[in-house]
Amino acid sequence: MNLASLLSKERINLFLKPGKKNKIIEDLVYSLKKDADAELIVSTLQKREELGSTGIGKGIAIPHCRSLAVDKLEIAVGRTTKPISFNAIDKKPVSLIFLIIAPPQDPGNQYLLTLGKIVQIAKEITKKKLIQKPQTPEEFIALINQIEKDLKKRK
Amino acid sequence: MSLDKIEMHLKLLFDLDNLLDDLDEPAYKEIGFKIKDAERRSLIKARSELLLKLPLDIADVYERLKKRYRRAIAPVENDFCFGCFQKLPTQLLTRSKEINTCPNCGRILYWRKK
Repeated sequence: MNLASLLSKERINLFLKPGKKNKIIEDLVYSLKKDADAELIVSTLQKREELGSTGIGKGIAIPHCRSLAVDKLEIAVGRTTKPISFNAIDKKPVSLIFLIIAPPQDPGNQYLLTLGKIVQIAKEITKKKLIQKPQTPEEFIALINQIEKDLKKRK
Repeated sequence: MSLDKIEMHLKLLFDLDNLLDDLDEPAYKEIGFKIKDAERRSLIKARSELLLKLPLDIADVYERLKKRYRRAIAPVENDFCFGCFQKLPTQLLTRSKEINTCPNCGRILYWRKK
């Protein structure tokens, strides 16, 4: 499974206006163009956040849920122009957000595999201090691709 | 309660049930998302409250189906029930505005909004 192939440049916003955590999540959900069911997705994501923040630390958050609203794994990426409060586990503000929505029926459990992979890649991004590096969606996808290749080589 | 509201409650209930299921997945725990018992209990409470908002007959059907299949709702894709993968009869595809169930497996059907 290749994460870069699941990303689309239309769903990567590297200049997201900072705002409250819920507003940022809403903005990313709306970027998926699931307008009819956007409210449902936002509600489920908020319930997930109430369980504990998906801010994994070092400036990255990965809000996620399954939802009837989607028929395949959907990913949106946002980077805020200023870090925002996300109640992350390290209490530090967040600027890079990966939003993942998966369908309930998910052969091969692609959802959890993708979630695990994003966590792994996010750790590399923070370790190498690359959060602010990409300036275009294309550069962002290329960066993810490169990190995936590096991780593969290490195995 | 309007049909739209019932449908919204049902969908959210279903999504919350999937969330609860995922929390128990070893793969989810391995990723490193730690959920405290108190938060988990509050989600179960929210789920119960949502169930109470539904008309009794629909809540009963949902719970019965959940017990039987784990996932009580099945999306409809290309005229197929994605719970049992049987083709749905034509009269269901021109469905009336009500909660429909699959004539084969009984799951509540959901037509994804385009």
